[in-house]
Amino acid sequence: MVDTFLNWLSHWDAIAALMAALITFIGLSVSSFASRYMKGDTTYRLFFVQLILLITSLCIMVSADNIILLLVAWSLSNALLVRLMIHKASWKAAQTSGVLAARNYLLSTCFMASGFALLYAITHHTSVNAIVHHATSSELMLPALILILLAAMAQSAIWPFHRWLLSSLNSPTPVSAIMHAGLVNGGGFLLVRFAPLYLRYPTLLAFIFCIGIMTALCGTLWKLMQSDVKRMLACSTLGQMGFMLAQCGLGLFPAAVAHLLWHGMFKAYLFLESGSAAQEKRFDLGYPPKLLAFMGALLCGFAGSVAFDYITLNSWVAGDSSLVLIVVAFIAASQFALPLLRFNTVQNLPVALVCTVAVGLFYGFSVHVVAVIMHPMGLMQPQPLTYVHILGIIALGATWLALLFFRHRAKTSNLPSWMLKGYVTALNASQPHSSTVTAHRNHYQYL
Amino acid sequence: MDQLHMHTVNHDGAHYDTHYIQDVIAQSFKNSAPFWPLKNLIAVNPLQGLEHLPIEQALALANAYFQQKDLPARMYAVNCETIKWLQVYCDDGQATLPMPLRHHGMYTSWRQLAVYDARLHKHDKQKQTFLRELPQAAEEAIAQCLEYLRIAKEEHVQFLTLMLTTLPGWSSHVAYRTKWARADESNLYPMRQEDYVAIRLIISTLLWPKAKELLDWHKKAVVGSQSANTALVKMEIAEKAYRTRLLQKLATQAISASHTPAAQLIFCIDVRSEQFRKSLESTGDYQTLGFAGFFGIPAQITNVITHESYASCPVLISPKHTVKESPCSPRACENDKKGYERLVMLKSIYQSVKYAFTTPFALVESIGILSGVWMAIRSLMPRVAAHIKIAAVEAVRKTQELEPRLDTISLSDQCSYALNALKMMGFTSNFAPIIVLCGHGSTTQNNAYETALDCGACGGRHGGGSARILAAILNQKKVRAHLIQNGICIPQTTRFIAAEHNTTTDEVTLYNVPDVPEVESLRAHLQKARAINSQKRLEKMGEKTQALRAVSDAWLRAHDWAQVRPEWGLARNAAFIVGPRDLTASLDLEGRCFLHSYDYKKDPQGAYLTAILTAPMVVGQWINTQYLFSTLDNVAYGAGSKITLNITGKLGVMQGNASDLMTGLPLQSVYSSDTQAYHEAQRLLTVVFAPQALLDTIIQAQPVLHKLLGNGWAQLVCMQPDDRTMYLLNRDFTWQRLS
Repeated sequence: MVDTFLNWLSHWDAIAALMAALITFIGLSVSSFASRYMKGDTTYRLFFVQLILLITSLCIMVSADNIILLLVAWSLSNALLVRLMIHKASWKAAQTSGVLAARNYLLSTCFMASGFALLYAITHHTSVNAIVHHATSSELMLPALILILLAAMAQSAIWPFHRWLLSSLNSPTPVSAIMHAGLVNGGGFLLVRFAPLYLRYPTLLAFIFCIGIMTALCGTLWKLMQSDVKRMLACSTLGQMGFMLAQCGLGLFPAAVAHLLWHGMFKAYLFLESGSAAQEKRFDLGYPPKLLAFMGALLCGFAGSVAFDYITLNSWVAGDSSLVLIVVAFIAASQFALPLLRFNTVQNLPVALVCTVAVGLFYGFSVHVVAVIMHPMGLMQPQPLTYVHILGIIALGATWLALLFFRHRAKTSNLPSWMLKGYVTALNASQPHSSTVTAHRNHYQYL
Repeated sequence: MDQLHMHTVNHDGAHYDTHYIQDVIAQSFKNSAPFWPLKNLIAVNPLQGLEHLPIEQALALANAYFQQKDLPARMYAVNCETIKWLQVYCDDGQATLPMPLRHHGMYTSWRQLAVYDARLHKHDKQKQTFLRELPQAAEEAIAQCLEYLRIAKEEHVQFLTLMLTTLPGWSSHVAYRTKWARADESNLYPMRQEDYVAIRLIISTLLWPKAKELLDWHKKAVVGSQSANTALVKMEIAEKAYRTRLLQKLATQAISASHTPAAQLIFCIDVRSEQFRKSLESTGDYQTLGFAGFFGIPAQITNVITHESYASCPVLISPKHTVKESPCSPRACENDKKGYERLVMLKSIYQSVKYAFTTPFALVESIGILSGVWMAIRSLMPRVAAHIKIAAVEAVRKTQELEPRLDTISLSDQCSYALNALKMMGFTSNFAPIIVLCGHGSTTQNNAYETALDCGACGGRHGGGSARILAAILNQKKVRAHLIQNGICIPQTTRFIAAEHNTTTDEVTLYNVPDVPEVESLRAHLQKARAINSQKRLEKMGEKTQALRAVSDAWLRAHDWAQVRPEWGLARNAAFIVGPRDLTASLDLEGRCFLHSYDYKKDPQGAYLTAILTAPMVVGQWINTQYLFSTLDNVAYGAGSKITLNITGKLGVMQGNASDLMTGLPLQSVYSSDTQAYHEAQRLLTVVFAPQALLDTIIQAQPVLHKLLGNGWAQLVCMQPDDRTMYLLNRDFTWQRLS
């Protein structure tokens, strides 16, 4: 009886297991960190109670099969997170940040509820599993999927729902860590849950890819412009979420899950470590690279991406949407090799090649391991290559090259006015909401 | 309503000339105490600009300037935009795509960008024109804005002062950059006070044309701040109780006949040295002395391998010599160079992939799992993580001993530094076979305030470098010969050894140790002292621990990335004692006293005492007031809680999304919990063991002492050497005998 009830409620599949593992892992690390970091705080105990509730609620959410339970756990998690974010309500800016996030989550929940309602209307099922596998085609399906997509976008701070994330840094550091590693990934999780339905609509996927790439580019640009460490990390999350969405749009859902998992760990670590930002000394990387070094790096990049391919079983010549990921691997591997080849390019080339191939293999491995776990779900479905993907590849490559070859000029020479205007526009676009800025020092409160 | 009143104003603003504007601005900056960047946090009195006033008046005025609950509502938007532009202009290496045109200077670059700032002009044609037609010179822009805002000439200084004090932290940074930043900050972009004020005024003119109302707001605030200052009353009670206790203890101490101990160790005057000295003295026949941690050498120290360079002297002094430091042998040099190159390569690869377009997506996917595992180890097993980290760093670049090259300091300078240092401490005879010069520094992880725990006398850096220089000087035969001519005879067998005391772990590292047997027992005793002190330190942290584990537990605090209170720094500092160690050696001063060694008998003219009172004592007062005000109001004068801080531009800290630059110390440095202060707010009490007449002459001649003691920013007690009577210096410079 209880068993059946539990089965009706939850569904432990690969994605649920992976997400629950991520949440518990991050939760454990962050709690342990916070147990020392938050010492002396007046709400110390309450903080941990809420943290544990949040982790529990998230685990219920990722394993939920019933759409109502999913919705409830989703809302509860977000509500708990907002509570944790505000932390000290006497600090007005923190409270406003929380309100901003809460409004966004509410919007996301509304989208989700309407989407679920439509799905129920189409299928008469309340089980996600049943909906996904028994859904018949209906003209309501596309609106339902768009609503769920909007819910996912709001949760994952995808443009144009990004503002709350950039305004969320009034939270205690451990809360930011858990938010950037856990809750913002909700959108990706939601799309993966309904992936089989999305795979029926290639045009929708192409749209998702576009929105994803756009957010990825904006997020990265803003990240590179920020001068405070936490907003830099937040903008970077934005970019990463965009890329994850783009991976969904490519039909490569397991790759998106891999991205979500590894980014979560990486970003949680960077937030917890943000106190050392002042000690991080940046080194001159000698941009623009010399032509020989750059050619060598491209060679290494090619070798690295082949190694990546070899593990992930994709192929340069397959001519499907996985090409985008291979190009990203190629660009990253080239960039990796650049510092190695900066001096004594020819002598260092063999070493650089070996290193890049090793890194490419490791990179491939860490993506592939998730793909293997998720294999039974059959969600790795590369789409036919279209001009949209090619445009995406061009955008990813062009921005990379632009930074490599033109950034140094900005430091010493005058720039054309469109660039100056672009700088100011981007700077303003990446500001937190002004009501969440502590414009008067004494408005800050820690009690 | 928000229209600019341009038509009423003649456009050139010419009747205020450049000199007038510069003068007004210099005056308006008087209230802004400088604030040093995170790379060398120097303690400073946040009310430094008000020290010319009696403290009662200063506190009331400071309340009106810095502690107001609210600002006029329109000021918030002005602050928001100012913060936005300051963040990007002042950035010292965080942004990969920094603000363009910075090499032109602050105002010039901003002027070219501001025309595009829709948050300033709000697409209003008139405002856009105003921005486009801004004068080229900041001074002219200021003159123009003052007219637009209709500020009367006699209120210029007051208005500009308010423009600065309504965003006090960032103004402090500008004050630092324009008044105190040294040559080693040459990588930063130029900044002038006029630039900043011009930008601030232009933003105000655009967003709050009636900014003149600020003057009325301030007048009301001043009236509201006149009520009795309860904080001061409380402070006085605590001070008196402490003073009575301390002086009673000091009065009973005998000065014993001097003898030659097994070793002498010279520590920094820092309050943390006192505890360690006491612990060490209990382990054997050691004599310890206190001296400013830069050992009197005004040097800029440059590492020949990394080319990193820093001024290792108090900020009141400019470095006179650039001393190169390198590993001791050519081979070690070569190894260190290779190690450093390896380190740079590894970091460069990471940074190259992290700070670029497109590549970060692959970066997180490939090293996400590693950083996750590392995060878990650091959080759940900080001890293991620390060992791994240390081993990894050693594997990449092995720590090498360094030695200074003295060729940039002339022999006569070397001789005078050596002579002055010894004489100032009254340390001119009974030299032991080993004399250790011990600087200090801290070890903490993931801590924006790391340098606040380092040596203030060394410009907020580790003090080992300065110690190495003086030790090298004092070991030179020629210098010793010169000292003999001046009546200081150091035995040929005596060796000076440089060392560094780690104030977080109490480990003392000896440098370039000579091959003498005495060192071994000294090492053992230093180890023992570390154990004693670690236990005391953990008690103060409220941590219960067994004696056996004390060393390792204290060590863990230094290496735990989640630790917000690695050590208490100079918290609870209360007094500055100038005199021989015998006065204090058998007392438990609880790590609350700066101790400067001094023998009045060797200083008949009072020259050394003058130096002590006008340099180390003043630095002590800066430290004392920083702790004091950070404790009294951690929001207005401190940095707030570490748990929400956000490092901006690698130079300072904001709270959350963005805020004023949070100057002062964080909550966790002075409070043991959100509500419980650990530091005790009281003003520095200086106790001098010297004749009253000598002190009188010195105080009369020194304006800085007049200011601090006369206005009640510090207190002074004279302890008469002959009969041990105590006299407290009144604010009117009369002496009051204490019973």
